[in-house]
Amino acid sequence: MARKLNHKPLLGDWLVIIASVVAIIFMFLQFWSFEQASKLKIRQGNQIISTYDLNQTRDLRIHGAVGDSLISISQGKVRFKQSPCNNQYCVHQGWLNRAGQVAICIPNQISLQLIGAKSSYDSLNY
Amino acid sequence: MRLILVICIIFLAACSPKEAIYNTQSYVFGTLVDITIYGETEEKSRLVADEIIHDFQQLHHHLHAWRPSKLNTLNTAFASGKTPVHVDSVIANMITEASALSIQSKGAFNPSIGGLIEAWGFHHDEFKPINVDQEKINNLVKAKPQMSDIVVKSNSAFSNNPAVRLDFGGYAKGYALDLAIASLRKQNINNALINIGGNIIALGKHGEKPWRVGIQHPRKPSAIATLDLQSGWAIGTSGDYQRFFELAGKRYCHIIDPSTGYPVQGVQAVTVLIPPSANAGVLSDVSSKPIFIAKPQARIQAASLMGVENFLVIESEQHIYISQALTKRLTWLDKDAEKYAVEYGTQTQP
Repeated sequence: MARKLNHKPLLGDWLVIIASVVAIIFMFLQFWSFEQASKLKIRQGNQIISTYDLNQTRDLRIHGAVGDSLISISQGKVRFKQSPCNNQYCVHQGWLNRAGQVAICIPNQISLQLIGAKSSYDSLNY
Repeated sequence: MRLILVICIIFLAACSPKEAIYNTQSYVFGTLVDITIYGETEEKSRLVADEIIHDFQQLHHHLHAWRPSKLNTLNTAFASGKTPVHVDSVIANMITEASALSIQSKGAFNPSIGGLIEAWGFHHDEFKPINVDQEKINNLVKAKPQMSDIVVKSNSAFSNNPAVRLDFGGYAKGYALDLAIASLRKQNINNALINIGGNIIALGKHGEKPWRVGIQHPRKPSAIATLDLQSGWAIGTSGDYQRFFELAGKRYCHIIDPSTGYPVQGVQAVTVLIPPSANAGVLSDVSSKPIFIAKPQARIQAASLMGVENFLVIESEQHIYISQALTKRLTWLDKDAEKYAVEYGTQTQP
C-alpha cells in the first residue's frame, strides 16, 4: 500500500524543516505577541459593512443614520476623518492601530473595531 | 520527526475551525449594545440575541426621558399635582428599587433630577453647548426633588413634590443588563457577554478562559487596563467623555451633582466592579455615580455606602486612585497610568 517512509532525513529535508521552524517562530513573534491590528471591521447599525485590510491607504464613505461618515485607513491605522454628527466625539478619538480598539459614532450608528491575531480583551468598558 | 509532528499539530490547532462565538451590535438607549454568546449554535444565539434587543427597545421606548413615553406621562402627572395615576408594574418596581438605592447613596444617586438634566441641555440626542439659566438651576436645586417624594401604591403613583422628574439615564442600562442575564438563563445559555454603552455583565466564560474586558482610557482611544470578568460580575464606568459639551474652554459633563445642580468637575472617570447578585447590572450602573459626585476625601465613604469594594477613580493622567481590592484584579495596559496609580489607603492622598 504505502511506500516505506522511515528512511533517514536527507540534508534537504533538514533545510526545509529548519526554514519552516524559523518561519513559524518569526510569524509567531510578529503576529501573535504584538497587539498590532491587521484588520478593520466596520458596522452600520446591526450590519457588518465589511472587514478591511488595514495595510492600505484609502478613504471610505459609509452611509449612516444621519449622513455620510468618512473613514480613513492609512497603513495600519484608521480614524473617523469626517462625520455628520454634532459632537464629533468619533473624529476626536483620532487614530486607532491596536487590536481591540474601538471607535463609535453613536448618532450615525457606525462602529470601527480593530482586529488582530491577539486582542487583549473581549469587550470594552467605557 | 516527532518534534516536527508536534510543531505541525500546534500549527494546525491554530487553524482549527472557528470557535462557536456569536456577536451582534445594535443601537438602543442612545448607545451601542453589543451581545456576544459563546458555545451555542448561530441560529439559537441569533434568536436569543434578537429577543434581548427587542426587550431593550421596548424598555427604552417606555423609559424615554424626552419623548412621549410611559415615564413621561408619569412625569407630567407628578408635575401637575398629587392625584394618583396608573403606573405600569415594571416602572413601579424600578421606582421602588431606584428609591432604595437613592436613599442608600444619601441622595447622590438621584434619578428624580430630570429637570436639571433638561436644563443643562442633555435631553437631546445631539445636544449643543449652552449657557445655562443660573436662576433656573438654583430654583430646581431648592425645590429638592427626591425619590422619596414619590408614593407608589397598588398600581398607582403620585409625587409629593411637583419638581420630581424621573430620568433613568443612570439606571436603565444596568436594569437592562440584569434583564438580559435573566433571559439568557431562561434560554439555557451559559456563556455570554452583554455590553450596553460600556456597562458590561458576564455570564459563564469565553471557552476555557473567563471573559476579559478592557477599561477605556478617558482621554486616549485605547484601553487603560484589562480585567477578567467572572461569571455574574458586572462592570460600569461613569465618565466625563461620553456625553459632554465644552464652553469657553470648560468641559460640562452629563453627571450632575443634585446638591449644586452643576456638572461635576475634576473627575474623568469612575469605574466600579460588582460581584454577582440579582441586581449586579443595576449596581454597576448606579454605584459609580455617588463616587463620581463625592468630594475627593469622601469617595471611599461613598463607595462603602454603596457596598463597592472594587473601584477606580481617574481625575487626570497623573491622578489615578484605585481600591486595594481592584488592584489585585486589574492588569494595566497603559504604562503611565500604572506609574501614577495610587492605591487607596496605602499613601497620603485624598
